[in-house]
Amino acid sequence: MKITVCIGSSCHIKGSRQVVERLQDLIRENKLGDKVELAGTFCMGKCQQGVCVTADDEFFSVKPETVDEFFKETVLARV
Amino acid sequence: MNNLCADIGWKSINHEGEQLGGDHVDIIEQNENSTVIVLADGLGSGVKASILSTLTSKIISTMMAEGLSIEECVSTIAATLPICSVRGVAYSTFTIIHIIDNSVAELIQYDNPHVILLRDCENYEYPRSELNIDGKKIYKSTVRLQENDIFIAMSDGCTHAGIGLAFNFGWKRENIAEFMKTVAGVGYTAKTLSTMLVDECNKQYGYHPGDDTTACVVRIRRREPMNILFGPPRNRDDCDRMMSLFFSKEGKHIVCGGTTSSIAAKYLGKPLKASLSFERSDVPPTAEIEGVDLVTEGVITINKVIEYAKDALGKNELYEQWSLHHDGASMICRLLFEEATDINFFVGRAVNPAHQNPDLPINFNIKMNLVEELSLCLKQMGKRIKVSYF
Repeated sequence: MKITVCIGSSCHIKGSRQVVERLQDLIRENKLGDKVELAGTFCMGKCQQGVCVTADDEFFSVKPETVDEFFKETVLARV
Repeated sequence: MNNLCADIGWKSINHEGEQLGGDHVDIIEQNENSTVIVLADGLGSGVKASILSTLTSKIISTMMAEGLSIEECVSTIAATLPICSVRGVAYSTFTIIHIIDNSVAELIQYDNPHVILLRDCENYEYPRSELNIDGKKIYKSTVRLQENDIFIAMSDGCTHAGIGLAFNFGWKRENIAEFMKTVAGVGYTAKTLSTMLVDECNKQYGYHPGDDTTACVVRIRRREPMNILFGPPRNRDDCDRMMSLFFSKEGKHIVCGGTTSSIAAKYLGKPLKASLSFERSDVPPTAEIEGVDLVTEGVITINKVIEYAKDALGKNELYEQWSLHHDGASMICRLLFEEATDINFFVGRAVNPAHQNPDLPINFNIKMNLVEELSLCLKQMGKRIKVSYF
């Protein structure tokens, strides 16, 4: 699975750094390093819904507070 | 004409406890390729010294730039300076570096430590001839400029550094030259070099400077063009025109902004690879496009660059950050402040609807102000700036 997080201006202000770091931690804790690839991208054109995240090309709006939820419901459920 | 130019920077600290400096540096551009630089050191310290050195440097730089002879400058100063009631003399030492057509430097020195010239990182003792003007011994030299020549003018606060502390007789000129040789080849700006020298003097004074201490560095370098793309064009149909103009320019290319870098990547037909390494908490990560020297986020990064630029023009306390770190803002700083001499801005005036949200500290006006602010700072650093809007 490939997770892409927007690191553009708008998402940066909304906390993309925290989202990325939390995802990195969660991937490590769950030993999913070989199954999940984490990448960055610039603007996805949906800044209003930031932080913009895609999981295998499906769009999700994630906040620093909802990363754990997103990881449990979307990532763990699918790998 | 040649393709050389002079990078000029100086740094000064005051005698401990004084609010005013008794050293003064004045830089007057005679024309695009000729500059008069004067470093004056007034007798004593504080207000009196400050008045003497300010008058001296202003009078000399203005008169020299207008083409008057050194004899006339000296007699004007002698007739103008107020006479010190304690010592009965009017006195300010001075060093003049007159860069002519970026090909010759004329040095005129009166009682300051002699200018150090580092040529290819070695101390170069240039010939001096002695003049006697109104009973004052003045040394005059003419040096034909070469790329990488570094001239270091100092007030005696530098050579007196450490008297009785680190050294018995202060920090000698030869030893200062040895010290500067070690950093001459790195490519630091004149401002950074002068800051390093004055910081080192301050250290040797045990951080209690016993005299006003000033260094002024002139670095002869080749002109280096640099191009920076910031923001997508207002009209989408202009993308190709903007990109082809930008990428056809000589020199390195910097692309700032998320959407902007997508447009550049599309134009070049290469993938845009964003990195996830957060070097610093306050600047977003950079990205890569084959064929572009540096790809960064836009407004937040540029805002940080301006913060560094303002500091570099003033106290220059943050250079240790931007000269070493690997975040987008620091890398832009090194390219613009250190490498570039001629900078072309390609600014797109598209309004990003996502940025017009009142919750976000970025909007269209701020973006345009950033460009103006940054180009003003770079002009003050002596860069030639051209801004094109799309």
